[in-house]
Amino acid sequence: METLDPRIKRLSLEISTDVEKTNSHLITYEVFHQEKRGKHVMHVGIVHAPNPEMALVMAKEVFGRRGKTTNLWVVKTSDVYTFSLEDEDMFETTPEKHFRDPAYYKVRDRIEKFQNKNRV
Amino acid sequence: MYGSTNLSEEDAKRMNTTVEDPEKLEAFESRIARGEKIEPQDWMPVEYRKQLIRMIEQHAHSEIVGALPEGTWITRAPNFRRKLALIAKVQDEIGHGQLLYSAAETLGKTREEMLNDLLSGKSKYSNVFNYPANTWADIAVIGFLVDGAAIVNQVINSKGSYGPYCRALERICYEESFHLKQGHDNVVYLATGTKHQRAILQDAINRWYIPLLHFFGPPDKMSAHSEKLMKWKVKLASNDDMRNQFLDQYVPKIWELDITFPDPNLKKNNDGFWEFSDPDWNEFKRVINGGGPCNAERIAVRKFAEEAGRWVRQALMNPTEKYVAPLA
Amino acid sequence: MSNALKDLLFKMADDALVIGHRNSEWTGIGPMLEEDLAFSSMAQDKIGHAQALYKILNEVLGEADADTLAFKREEKQFKCCQFVEQPIGEYDFSIVRQFLFDHAELIRYDMLTQSSFQPLAQLAKKVKGEIKYHVMHADSFVKQLGNGTEESKARLQSSLNYAWHLALGIFEKSEFENELISKNIFAGEDELKKRWLEKTTPIIEAANLKVPATDESKIIYGGRKGFHSEYLKPLLDEMCEVVRTDIDAEW
Repeated sequence: METLDPRIKRLSLEISTDVEKTNSHLITYEVFHQEKRGKHVMHVGIVHAPNPEMALVMAKEVFGRRGKTTNLWVVKTSDVYTFSLEDEDMFETTPEKHFRDPAYYKVRDRIEKFQNKNRV
Repeated sequence: MYGSTNLSEEDAKRMNTTVEDPEKLEAFESRIARGEKIEPQDWMPVEYRKQLIRMIEQHAHSEIVGALPEGTWITRAPNFRRKLALIAKVQDEIGHGQLLYSAAETLGKTREEMLNDLLSGKSKYSNVFNYPANTWADIAVIGFLVDGAAIVNQVINSKGSYGPYCRALERICYEESFHLKQGHDNVVYLATGTKHQRAILQDAINRWYIPLLHFFGPPDKMSAHSEKLMKWKVKLASNDDMRNQFLDQYVPKIWELDITFPDPNLKKNNDGFWEFSDPDWNEFKRVINGGGPCNAERIAVRKFAEEAGRWVRQALMNPTEKYVAPLA
Repeated sequence: MSNALKDLLFKMADDALVIGHRNSEWTGIGPMLEEDLAFSSMAQDKIGHAQALYKILNEVLGEADADTLAFKREEKQFKCCQFVEQPIGEYDFSIVRQFLFDHAELIRYDMLTQSSFQPLAQLAKKVKGEIKYHVMHADSFVKQLGNGTEESKARLQSSLNYAWHLALGIFEKSEFENELISKNIFAGEDELKKRWLEKTTPIIEAANLKVPATDESKIIYGGRKGFHSEYLKPLLDEMCEVVRTDIDAEW
């Protein structure tokens, strides 16, 4: 094959059109990344790997090849248990529970009223 | 590096005829209209899934095939700085392929199926990678201008509606900013260097000009449209708009180095739009259909990589483990 | 003392440059995407080690700058072992080479953390973590492939047999060996080789592979003295191709 790539030239490839299909595939691991000590461990993506040890070896360069990394976690995708997205409605009213919201508690007016009334 | 949002005639027709459950469709469309993202476990129209797979897969293929023209110069980069940057840059392209295949996997197509479709020619990749990298200056031009064009496309697509694709693109855009900077650095060294360096740079720009104009696809007046893809935020900007944005950002950065583009009609008009001689769109079609200078080589090399690596992947396989699609 | 130091630094730098260059040939065409990334990062690390070592030669020992040392020396001046010059071959050879070479590197750098030559001791402390990962990567691949399919097992064993006497060439001594030891610069190739055998043997066994028998007469020496295989010259010609088109240009 004619090629400008010296790496490829060394392989002396022949051009052919038949492709043997690969149907098998490795399982996936979900990868979690901790940037610094004290920070949360965040989901960043997946790697294909045969076992947890190799998933970590792979995850290091897929998700830790730039910037800071303190640690990586891997979890087999099929081991992750999640809600169904249809159950998102269970969370729908949560933001409305204002009694959990610090901004909900406003007493300044009451204090001022009290002070005016009692000349504090 | 590039997920084409151009539809084939056939796809465009089907888009308008497939019937979906009106209630679910309404909920889906109003979620997108509210600016919310779609996640893998959500209900989605058949055609949305199909077009996204096609687009993300094409983008992923473009990354791993795009690694090949630049890979040509890995063993010849002229100093430590360039050698490390080039290897890291080509490696990133493979990394982007990994992220994009993963995003497409969440839609139900496995990486292996996608790679098989690449090798059989069933699924495409960006035309721009079917051109050769003749000299070291091509590496500078690819790093600066081809990556620059890709970033225009990717930044726009990262505002799309599908969560996993957006997340992948955000990460990719962040990494591509290094590609752009090192590409620009390389271009500037050549442009401000010796006579020989300037000559190879000018020659490379001359050769990459048309492929760069082709990069964003045919002019809007020539391409099949789908209102639905726009509504579903799969396609976010027109080909002409993206091309214009690219020219606006990058042409001045070449001109300031006293390097020219091989087109006397290239100029910004009074309305702020770029004008240029219409490139040959038959050439574009010819290259898409396999007739470009490097199509055969690119596929042959990818095929080699798949086949030479098969025994490794087989040895890693654990037959008792069952594959499930990634979560996010 | 400076000649002994130079000899040690050149052989380490040339090893790292040449194997890093070789391993970078896999970037973009590796056996699976994740491994493509991993192998590429390790190639970059090696090239980075070479650069750091040449930098010491330049800044402390008065040699030319790193780019000149890497891109403008003659084949004869290179001190790398012939093992690292070999073409990448198929993946089994590349991974076996990484396994054998990086175990030696990890021990060498570990020994050098104690070196009386401070710049080298500091560098060794700095890059030990990188090489630790290279070894972890190689170990897990060798174990997985050795215990994999019939094909992967056979491939690994045959590459191991082929690589063995080349790998032993890593430990070729130079005329400065005794000086390096007596001045506490480096504890010596014999010590390194002993510890290397202790580390690699259990992994090879855990991979269900056989440790090849050593035949002293078959060990491939010469590299440390500037005698190279047929592969180094073409490698350097390729590496320097762009530089030579305009030798005085800044790239």
